[in-house]
Amino acid sequence: MFDLFREISQTLRNNRLRTFLTGIAVAWGIFMLIVLLGMARGVLNSFESMSWSQTSNRITVYPGNTSMEYKGYREGRPLSPEMSDVDLLYEKNPDNVGDVMPSASLSSTVFSTSKDYLTAGPSGVYPKARTINDVDMKYGRFINDADILDKRKSIVLEEKDAALLFGDASTAVGQRLDGLGLSWLVVGIYASDWRNDVYIPFTTAKMLSGNDSKVNNLQVEIKNVQTIGDGEKVEEALRGTLAKAHDYDPQDKSALYMFNRFTNYLQSLTAFNILNVSVWVIGIFTLLSGIIGVSNIMFVSVRERTHEIGIRRAIGAKPRAILTQIILESVSITFLFGYIGVFFGMCVTQLIAHFTAQTEFLKNPTVSLQIALEVTIVLIVAGALAGLFPALKATKVKPVEALRDE
Amino acid sequence: MIISLNDVNKTYPGAVPLHVLKGINLGIEKGELVSIMGASGSGKSTLLNILGILDNYDTGEYRLDGLLIKNLSENHAAELRNKMIGFVFQSFNLISYKNALENVALPLFYQGVSRKKRNRLAMEQLERMGLADRAHHMPGELSGGQKQRVAIARSLITNPTIILADEPTGALDSKTSKEVMEVFRQLNRDGMTVVIVTHDPGVAAATDRVIRIEDGLIVPAKPQINV
Repeated sequence: MFDLFREISQTLRNNRLRTFLTGIAVAWGIFMLIVLLGMARGVLNSFESMSWSQTSNRITVYPGNTSMEYKGYREGRPLSPEMSDVDLLYEKNPDNVGDVMPSASLSSTVFSTSKDYLTAGPSGVYPKARTINDVDMKYGRFINDADILDKRKSIVLEEKDAALLFGDASTAVGQRLDGLGLSWLVVGIYASDWRNDVYIPFTTAKMLSGNDSKVNNLQVEIKNVQTIGDGEKVEEALRGTLAKAHDYDPQDKSALYMFNRFTNYLQSLTAFNILNVSVWVIGIFTLLSGIIGVSNIMFVSVRERTHEIGIRRAIGAKPRAILTQIILESVSITFLFGYIGVFFGMCVTQLIAHFTAQTEFLKNPTVSLQIALEVTIVLIVAGALAGLFPALKATKVKPVEALRDE
Repeated sequence: MIISLNDVNKTYPGAVPLHVLKGINLGIEKGELVSIMGASGSGKSTLLNILGILDNYDTGEYRLDGLLIKNLSENHAAELRNKMIGFVFQSFNLISYKNALENVALPLFYQGVSRKKRNRLAMEQLERMGLADRAHHMPGELSGGQKQRVAIARSLITNPTIILADEPTGALDSKTSKEVMEVFRQLNRDGMTVVIVTHDPGVAAATDRVIRIEDGLIVPAKPQINV
C-alpha cells in the first residue's frame, strides 16, 4: 500500500504544474463550501440563541385601534386587552390555550440612587415571566408569588443598569432605589445582551396605574400546534373570542394587535432551511466544477501516458492495478488540495468569527468537526468518481497498440 | 519444447479482413537462441505479440513451457507475462521519470515484492549488465546502448522462461548493436532461451537458428550457422 502511494506521488510530482493547477480548482470549491457553510451556521447560531426560539409557542396580544366599523361603532376606536380576557381566552379555547399571562407596563420614569439615575418604563409581571422571557438570573431572585400577593415594591434590574446605579452589580441585591415617589427593594439582577427591562410585580404596577382592568399585553401560551396552518387557526380562534368580548369585527386585525411568535418562528425556520440547502447546493456545484476539472485532467493524463500504461501492462500490470493507480491519483489530488481548501476555509471563518464577535446576526460562524468529516467523505467520493472514468479508459489500453512505435 | 505453435492462424477483422498468420508451425527448444526474420508486413510482429501473450490468435494451439495459451483473461495474461516473459523493445520502453534502478525493479512491483528486496534484485541485474554506477540515472541521461541494457536487466529480473526481443538493435549504431547482441549471447550461454525478431540479417546471423517468415507462413528451415 505504501509502495502504491510512493508510485502515485512520483507520477504527481512528475507533472507538478498540472497537478497544482487542477488542485487549485478543488481547493477553491471546498474553500467556498466551508466559508458558505460557516456563514449559514453563524446565522443559525444567532437565530437559535435568541430566546424567542425557545419560547416560540406564544401569541402576544397588544392594544390597538379598530380599522372596520362594526355594530354601529366607527372605525378608529382604541381597544386594550383586559384582565377579564385572561380567563375568557382559556375557557373558550381549552384545547389550544395553556397559560395566559398579563403584563402591565408603566410609562417611562426615573429611578435613582445617591450615585446615579436611569430612565425606564417598568413592566409589571407575574413570576412566570421569568421562564416566558427566558430571564437569566445572575444574583438574587425574580419576582415571586409573595411579591404579587402583598403588592410589594420589589424590583429586578439588568446587570449593566445595576452597575450604573450601585457601582457594582453583585452588591445591588438588598439595596434600595427611588422611583415613582416610592422606595424599591432590589431583589434580583439578571444578565442579558439585548434587553434592559425593569421588572416589578404585576399587582404593584396595577395599583400604581390606577387599578383599571386594562393590561398592556397578554402573553398566550398555545399548545397542540405543529404547522404554520395550526398556528394561524389558533390565532383566528383567539381573535374570534376577543372580537366577541370587545365588540369588533373578527376580520379586523388591528383592533387588538396579535404577534404570533409560533408562525413567525416556523417561517424563520423554513427560511433558514432554505438558506442551508442553498448553501450546500452552491457549495457542491462550485466543488463540482473543480471535480470535473480533475476528471478532465485525468483523461488528459491517461491519454498522455498511454505509452507508459502499455509498458506497465506488457511487464505484467493487471488492469486492476492500473485502475487502482489512476483512481488513487485522482483521490490524492482531490484529498490533498481539498484539505488545503478546508484549512484556508477554516482560517477565514475563524477570522470572520473574530471580526463579527460583537454583531448579533452572526454568532460563531465556524464549521463543526462533523461538517469537516462530511466534507472528507465528499472529497473521497468525488475524487474516486472523477478518476473512475479516466481509469476505466486506461484499463482499455491495449499494450500492443500502446507500444507500437510512434 | 519450450515454445510450440501448431497451425496458428490470425486474422485482423475489418472491411477487408487481413489474414496475417496462415497456419504457423514452430518449435523452440529450451536454451535456444533463435531469430525470427521477415520483411515488414510478413506477420513477424503479430507472431511476436502472440508469443508474448500480448495478442490473441484465432485457431491453432500455442504452448509455452507446456501451458496452453489460449483465450486467457486479461488478468491471467498479465500474470503470465510478468512471470514467464521478459520483453526487450526496439525503443527501449523505459519509463522516463523513473531512474534505471526503479525501471528495472518495476515488474517486481506488480508481484508485490517489497521495495527493499526489489531494489536489491534490480541492483544485481544492473551489476550483471555492468551498469551499477548508472543505477540512479534517469533514462534521458543514458546512451542508447545503456538504455537497452537497462531494458534487458528489467526483462531478466523476474527470472522469466523466455526473453522476447523485438528489433533490439533497431535504434542502435552498429558498434552498440554488436555489444547488445553479445549480451544476448552471454545470456544464452547462461541457459536463457532468447527469441529475437529482426529484419537485420547481421543480427540474425549472430543467432544459432533463423526462422524465416514470409507472407504469414514459416519458410521451411535452412539451418544456417555463422561464426
